[in-house]
Amino acid sequence: MDDLTREFLLESQEGLDRMERCLTDLETRPGDTELLADIFRSVHTIKGTTGFLGFSRLEALSHAGENLLGLLREGKLEANPEIVSGLLSLMDILRGVLHSIETIGAEGENRQQDGAIIARLEKLQLGDASIAVAEPELAAVAAPTRTGRPRKPRALRRRGYIQSAPPPAESGEAGPPREFEEAPRNTEPQPVPVVPAPASLPARPENESPASPAPETQAATTSGTADSTLRVDVELLNRMMNLVGELVLTRNQILQATSTDASFSLLGRRLDMVTADLRESVMKARMQPVSHVFSRFPRLVRDLALGLDKRVRLEMEGQETELDKSLLEAIRDPLTHSIRNAIDHGIEMPAARIAAGKSAEGLVRLRACHEGSHVIVEVHDDGAGMSIEKIRAKAVERQLVPPQRAELMNEREILQLIFLPGFSTAETVTSVSGRGVGMDVVRTNVEKIGGKVEVDSRAGKGTVLRLRIPLTLAIIPALIVRSRGQNFAVPQASLTELVHLSTGETDSRIERLENAALYRLRGHLLPLVFLDRLLQQSPRQRSAPCDIAILNADGRRLGLVVDGLADPEEIVVKPLAAVLREIGFYAGATILGNGGMALILNPGAIAQHANVIPTTEAVDDSVDTNRAGQHDFLLVETGRRRAALPLETVVRIERIPRSRIERAGSRPVLRFDGKLLPLDDAASELLDAGDDPEAQTTVVVCRDGNRQVGMTVSQVLDVAGGRQLEEAGTGAIADGITLLHERVTAIASLSAIPALECAADGSPMEFSLPAEEQR
Amino acid sequence: MNDNHANPTQEVCSVQVGDTLYGVPIAHVLEILGKPATQPVPLAPYFVGGLVHYRGEVLTAVSLRRLLGMEPAKTPEDVLVFENPDGLFGLFVDSVGEVLHVSAADHEPNPATLESRRQALFDGAWKLKDRLLVSLEPERLDPMRLASAFPA
Repeated sequence: MDDLTREFLLESQEGLDRMERCLTDLETRPGDTELLADIFRSVHTIKGTTGFLGFSRLEALSHAGENLLGLLREGKLEANPEIVSGLLSLMDILRGVLHSIETIGAEGENRQQDGAIIARLEKLQLGDASIAVAEPELAAVAAPTRTGRPRKPRALRRRGYIQSAPPPAESGEAGPPREFEEAPRNTEPQPVPVVPAPASLPARPENESPASPAPETQAATTSGTADSTLRVDVELLNRMMNLVGELVLTRNQILQATSTDASFSLLGRRLDMVTADLRESVMKARMQPVSHVFSRFPRLVRDLALGLDKRVRLEMEGQETELDKSLLEAIRDPLTHSIRNAIDHGIEMPAARIAAGKSAEGLVRLRACHEGSHVIVEVHDDGAGMSIEKIRAKAVERQLVPPQRAELMNEREILQLIFLPGFSTAETVTSVSGRGVGMDVVRTNVEKIGGKVEVDSRAGKGTVLRLRIPLTLAIIPALIVRSRGQNFAVPQASLTELVHLSTGETDSRIERLENAALYRLRGHLLPLVFLDRLLQQSPRQRSAPCDIAILNADGRRLGLVVDGLADPEEIVVKPLAAVLREIGFYAGATILGNGGMALILNPGAIAQHANVIPTTEAVDDSVDTNRAGQHDFLLVETGRRRAALPLETVVRIERIPRSRIERAGSRPVLRFDGKLLPLDDAASELLDAGDDPEAQTTVVVCRDGNRQVGMTVSQVLDVAGGRQLEEAGTGAIADGITLLHERVTAIASLSAIPALECAADGSPMEFSLPAEEQR
Repeated sequence: MNDNHANPTQEVCSVQVGDTLYGVPIAHVLEILGKPATQPVPLAPYFVGGLVHYRGEVLTAVSLRRLLGMEPAKTPEDVLVFENPDGLFGLFVDSVGEVLHVSAADHEPNPATLESRRQALFDGAWKLKDRLLVSLEPERLDPMRLASAFPA
C-alpha cells in the first residue's frame, strides 16, 4: 500500500469517526449548521480523495451521502431520525470498504448493498418533500410554532421512531415540493465548501433562528490543531516508554551507588530530575482524552434504545480526562458491556418508567474524572436498579454460591456476585445481553490492567458501575517485602498498613482458629496468609519476627505475613512468560534499584486463593467522597487523652517492652534500628512510673522535618479523616486541633519534642550496638 | 536446519551440562550471559530455572539440568538467550565452551535406545573426533512448548 492510500485511509477513518459523533449530535440539534457543515466536509473530503485515487465505489457512495447532506446543510431538508439512520448505515458501509482497502488493497464489491443504500438516500432526499405534499397543513402549522415544538411527520410517528425524535432547535419550513426536486441539481456544481457553514447559507435569511447551543469545541478545534500535532506510531511510543523505564532503573541504581565525589551526587540529582521530566513527557504523549472512547457511545446508545423500544438520553461528563492510550483501548470493551447492560437491564420501558413516577426517558450518564493516580469512569443509569434478593436467588439457582452462604452475605457482597462468570438475571436472552457473559468480562478486563470495578445499586433508583483505572501501566509504586531471602513487590495501591511483630510477639499475637491464622487488628479479626507457605518456600521458624502487610484487594482484606520489609520503590512492570503467568500469584516481575529482581505479587489472586471474601469494613477505606479539606490522622490514646497524628508523618508503629526506653541526659530516648530516637514527655512519665519493665508500650515513629521522633501512646485507635475547624466569628482555621469522629481532637505537636544534641554535621548520633542487641 | 545438505558444515556453540557436551546452532543464540544473577520463581514448572535480567527484559530461563532430572548445579551457571515467536527466553547450562565447526555428514539421529524424554529433547548427535556432541534445537526448549510437552 502506498503512502498516499495509507494517509487517505487514516484521514477517512478520522473523518468517519467525527461524522459519527456529529450525526448523533445532530439528532438533538437538527438545525445546527456547524454540525452539518462538519459532516458535509468529512464526506466531501472522502469523495474528493477517492476520485483522485480511483476508488469508484467509495466515490459513488459518498456522492450519494453528499447530495443528501447538501440539502440538509442548505436547510432544504431537516434532519430526522430516518435521515440520521440512513447516513449512519452509509457510514458503516464506507467503513467496510475502507477496511477492505486496508486488508486486501481493493474496494471489494457489493452492488446490491450499494444500490440499496444509494436508493435509500435518494428516497430520503425526496422523502420529506413527499410528506410535505401529502400533508401541506403540517408545514403550515409547523412554521409559526417557533417555540421548539417538534414537528413530527406522520410517517415517522407511525413507525414508532418518534419517541427518540429530539426537539429541533429551529423550525425550518418545508418549502414547495418543486424546490426539493431541483435541489440535487443545485448542490452538485457547488465549489468545494471549505468555508465555514454559516457563510454558505445566506440564501435563507428567514432561517436564522437561534442556531441551537454553541457547537462543541471539537468541531471548532479540528482544523486549528492540525498544524501543531503529528501522528506517531503507537509502537514507537511503547518503545520509548520501555526505554524510559530502563532509564528509571538505571537512575535508581545510580542514586543507590554511594560516592564520595560531591559532583557525582550533584549529577545524580540532576539525572533524577531529567528522568522524572522525561518520564512525564513520554507518559503525556501516550495520553489521550477519554472522548476517544466515549465518542462511540452516542451511536451505541441510540441503536440499542431504538432496538429495545426504549427512550434513553446519554449524558457525558469529563470527556477531556486523559488516560494512557493502551488503557483507553483496554476499557473500550468493558465500557461497551456496561452501557449495554445499563440500557438492557437497567433502563425500563417508557410505560414502566412512567408508572414508577419517573420521566419516560431514561438517563445513562458517563462520567470520567481523575482521583489521585487513578481515573474513575462511572456508568450511571436511573433505571430499575438491582434487587438484592433477586441476585441472591439467581446466584443460588445457578449454583454460584451455596445457599447457606448466600443467606449470610450482606448487600455489598451480594452485589459482587454479579461479577461471577455465568451470572445473569436477564429473564430471557436478548440480542443485547443475557447470556451470562458480561459483568465477569468487565471485571476481568479491568483487573487485567490493574483496575478495579465497584458497583452500587438501589432497587428502583438505578445502578452505578465504577471503573477505577490506573493512569499508567508501566510504572507503579510498590513496597518490596522479603520472604525466605527472596524479594517480592507488593503494589502500594492495595497496601493499607504494616504491622511489625518482634520475636516474642509472633506466637502470642497471631491467633489460630483451627487452621486459620488470624490477627486482631483494632478489634477486628483479619485473616492471615503466610507468603512462605503460599509459595511453598522452605518454612520459617514460627517464632521468628515478621511483618504483616495488610492488603485490601477489591474489598478483600487480608494480612500477608512476610519475613521483613525493604524500601518502597517505583518499579517498572515487566511482563512474565506465559508459563509463569499461569501460576496466578504474580502480576509481573521487576528489576530493583540494586540490580536484583523481584516478582510482583498479585494481591487479588492471593486473596482469592485464600478464600477471603469481600467485607463491608473495606467500604470505609476504599470509597471516599467529599474528601476536600480533609486530612488523614492516626488516632491514638495517650493516658486518658486522645490525640491525632498526621498520617503522612507516621513512619511506623512499634510495640516495645517499657524497659527499652532509656534516658540520654534528661530526655527519654529509644534505640531504634541502631539510631537514637527522641521521645515525647509521656515516655518520661512511663519511666518514672517504674512498674513492670516488661509491660509493652506502643511507640509511633514519626517524621518531623528531617528528623524522626517517637510518640509513646497507650493505644492506637484508628486511622480517620479529620475536618478543619473554624473559629466562630473570624472563620480562621483553628491550629492544632481537628474534628475526628465528631470529637474535637488535639493534633500532637512533634516539634515540641526537643532535639538531641547532635554531632556537628547535623546528622543524628549513631551508636554502634553490640551485635546481639540489634534487632 | 542441522542437516542442511547445501551447506555441509555448520557452526555450533558447545555447552557443557554434567558430563555431556551439547551443541546449539550458533545462528539461534542471541547472546551468552556469563553467570548472571538469577531469581528463582516459587511454584514455577519444574523445568524453570529462574528469571534473568537481559537488556531491560526479565527472561524466563529453562534449566537443562532440571529438565533432564539432574542434580542442581553447585556453581553459578551460564545462560544462553534464544528468541521464540512470543519473545525471548534463556537456557541455564553449566558452562559455555568454544564454537565448533561440524559437518552434516557426521550427524546421526537419536539412537532408539535413548530414554523417551531425551528422545523428544535431543536432535541426534554429531560424531566429533573423540566424543559425541548432542544436538539441541532451541525450538524444543521453548518454555511454552515444554509446559505442554512435559507437564509436571
